[in-house]
Amino acid sequence: MRRFTQESGSPRAVFVKWPMGHPLGEPGRVDQQMIILKDALRALETIKTPGTIIDLPYRWKRYEDLTDR
Amino acid sequence: MGKLKNIILARLLTRFPRLFDRSVEKVAPFHVEGVPWTPFTKPLTAARIGLVTTAGVHLVGQKPFNMIDRDGDPSFRELPSDTPLGNYTITHDYYDHADADRDINVVFPIERLAELEAAGAIGGLGAVNYGFMGHIDGRHIETLIKETGPEVARRLVGQGVDAVVLTPG
Repeated sequence: MRRFTQESGSPRAVFVKWPMGHPLGEPGRVDQQMIILKDALRALETIKTPGTIIDLPYRWKRYEDLTDR
Repeated sequence: MGKLKNIILARLLTRFPRLFDRSVEKVAPFHVEGVPWTPFTKPLTAARIGLVTTAGVHLVGQKPFNMIDRDGDPSFRELPSDTPLGNYTITHDYYDHADADRDINVVFPIERLAELEAAGAIGGLGAVNYGFMGHIDGRHIETLIKETGPEVARRLVGQGVDAVVLTPG
């Protein structure tokens, strides 16, 4: 999917290497979903170069990665 | 049979990411000219944020996306922000959406966005969000790029939306 994001010329993107169908994470994990959404919104302000993809550091189901920055 | 095959394949690709990576490698490269860019100048706390998803989300009662056409479906569905959660449904046989069926926020974070609005972290939501079905191939790519994509962009601008979060399936 990262490849498709790149090829489609998305102006700003954040990427998680998680299973397909789970861009915001797991069902019922409000904290996880909120972190991803906030990171995506933050990218609106931080990305200055068109086409940048930010690789988020969260591993699938490794909850210790989920620190609210 | 084609429908069942797609559903089984989608489950396998979700469960075994390496298989998914390999299937992605087989897709021919697709290139668009240039990267569209609009500087984001408002503070987030004043910005109206819209949601667009390609995860096949639509409302119960709306026409489902076409699962018979092998090239997919480039049309879109309007999803008002005040829709009760139980009125969302997903038609998309090309990924396993069992988890998203349990909690729509997994692919369409409407509740989280409303919470950010309530907390004052964003200026507001658009009145209407938009659902596409991301399996779009062949002749439908042109329809998406020239017709339905720009139409949704126009409608978002018309609602005063400053930026959009686009989520895949």
